[in-house]
Amino acid sequence: MKRKFGSRQILLLLLIVIVALLPLYVQSTYTITICIMTFYMASASLAWSVLGGLTGQISLGHAAFMGLGAYISTLLLVNFNVSPWISILIVFVVVGAITALLLSPCFGLRGPYFTLVTIAFGETFRNLFTNWEYAGKGKGILLPYGEDDFGLMRFSDKQSYFYLGLGMVVLIYIIVKMIDKSKLGYGLKTVREDEDTANAIGINPWKYKVIATFISCGLMAVCGVFYANYYRFIDPEIMIQTQSVEYLMPAVIGGIGSVTGPLLGAVIITPLSQFLNATLSSIAAGSNLVIYAVILIVVILFQPRGIMGWFNGSKLKAKIDKVFDSIDGKLFSKK
Amino acid sequence: MDTFLQAITNGLMVGGIYALIGMSLTIIFGVMKIINFCQGELLMVGMYVSFVLYDQFGLDPFLAIPLVAIIMFAIGALLQSTIINRAMKNTESDDTNVLFLTVGLGILFTNLCLMFFKSDYRTAVSAVSQKNVELGNITVSMPKLISFLILIIMSVLLFLFLKHTTLGKQIRATSQNKTGAQVSGIKTKMVYASTYGLGAALAGITGACLMSYYYVFPTVGAVYGTRSFIVVTLGGLGSIPGAFIGGLVLGLLETIGSVVVGASFKDTVVFLVFILILVTKQLVKSKRG
Repeated sequence: MKRKFGSRQILLLLLIVIVALLPLYVQSTYTITICIMTFYMASASLAWSVLGGLTGQISLGHAAFMGLGAYISTLLLVNFNVSPWISILIVFVVVGAITALLLSPCFGLRGPYFTLVTIAFGETFRNLFTNWEYAGKGKGILLPYGEDDFGLMRFSDKQSYFYLGLGMVVLIYIIVKMIDKSKLGYGLKTVREDEDTANAIGINPWKYKVIATFISCGLMAVCGVFYANYYRFIDPEIMIQTQSVEYLMPAVIGGIGSVTGPLLGAVIITPLSQFLNATLSSIAAGSNLVIYAVILIVVILFQPRGIMGWFNGSKLKAKIDKVFDSIDGKLFSKK
Repeated sequence: MDTFLQAITNGLMVGGIYALIGMSLTIIFGVMKIINFCQGELLMVGMYVSFVLYDQFGLDPFLAIPLVAIIMFAIGALLQSTIINRAMKNTESDDTNVLFLTVGLGILFTNLCLMFFKSDYRTAVSAVSQKNVELGNITVSMPKLISFLILIIMSVLLFLFLKHTTLGKQIRATSQNKTGAQVSGIKTKMVYASTYGLGAALAGITGACLMSYYYVFPTVGAVYGTRSFIVVTLGGLGSIPGAFIGGLVLGLLETIGSVVVGASFKDTVVFLVFILILVTKQLVKSKRG
């Protein structure tokens, strides 16, 4: 049996502390901005992976669910002066419930059919918000500027958003990791591998998919609250389907189905895409995304299970595991 | 009444385009059982090919159709035999990888075109671009009418091709039973490549038709891609007559919908009907066991 707390967790904590100290010795705003975007992409990809990775229901509508969170929290802030901190809970429950309700009749659809339905829902939401007077129509909504206010999640410096983003990614990572290791997680994975078998051993696929949708889309909406408060401007374009593809990219590169995969994928792909964007897009627009697409295609062709899929089956993992276990043995041998 | 008749006519014209792109998607699905998520982008590439032919050689979009079809067939066949086939072999039971792959190919095409042609809107003028046909109180633009005729011609040709040629028969055999086809000595790899090529060529033809009265930009494919999914779901995945009818129905739904609820909400109507149909089909299927 594995320990609940061992050298792996200590290493993870150390890693978080090192990242948290980053703004102290890195002064460049550009680096901090890239870190914030990485946190955001990692969080979104982790949220997506609860439904897409653990449960195997590939959604291409998650940008719209993120947008729902962004819109609800912004409208609450602008019209009723509700603090975004409270909105986090509200959007998690509301968006989770809405999406679980809307998608619940669609869980009989398998494979690409489910993907098509998520595209349809995403585009419907985008169309509705583009035409909704109250939500600023296609023009979008600008969040009020003003003095720094912790309660209103409004900061003028990037550092605050850095810690906010870091907090979000750590929180979502822990939640997804806990789900992964729980009975719920094993149920979800059984549904992913074989629905009929799951049904036969008493796991109701429909019920598990509803729960996964609630959590996945709810967490996605929480990412939306961060997005809105960081960029301080939202419009229906954040809901577009191509944006959903961006959110699943880190998961595909890092390894669908593993929890570390989306995180690792985001850490690799987001700075890379930012770098490509900064260097190449001025030479020829689109060339950065061409490389981005080529990376995606190459990974799918040669390493369909992503980086973590390769790592989990490699000898390297066995060696690292051995080292960790020996450290654990020495540290915790006396009880 | 005239508005209504005009809406129906417009709907049929738009529906013709949807039917054509839907047929291109459905033929690929029918044989390889994959939903090609870059069908809209293939249409976009077809539009650019047609644009280049017009821009460089002054070729009328309608006259360029055979050339566009051949070029797109080559691109499609090459894609299938090199890249997509490999991903199809990788997947053991689920087709998630092919899904991601075609999504990736879509991003690739869009941005390659963005790289070469910038994001400007580009047009190709046909000799008939400005002409209109008057039928009583209804006006139809000439290029749309010709596109509609091309749809009918293409459907007939496709039907004859699948029914009476050797390759057509091989394609049908492979779609019905892959193993059986292999046992009978059909080279399924070749069939796959030509099917994907055929799908790409049909998408290219759709693009060339569209080029005669519309403009092209790198992200133009997204709309037609989603529409093609709706068409094949309406008509039944893999069914060519279904795609034909589904396309026309979708076109009518869109134009009549915009008359009834206003143009800005026509997408909502279309998508809601789409979701309803998907879910109902699913319920009916599970009821039957």
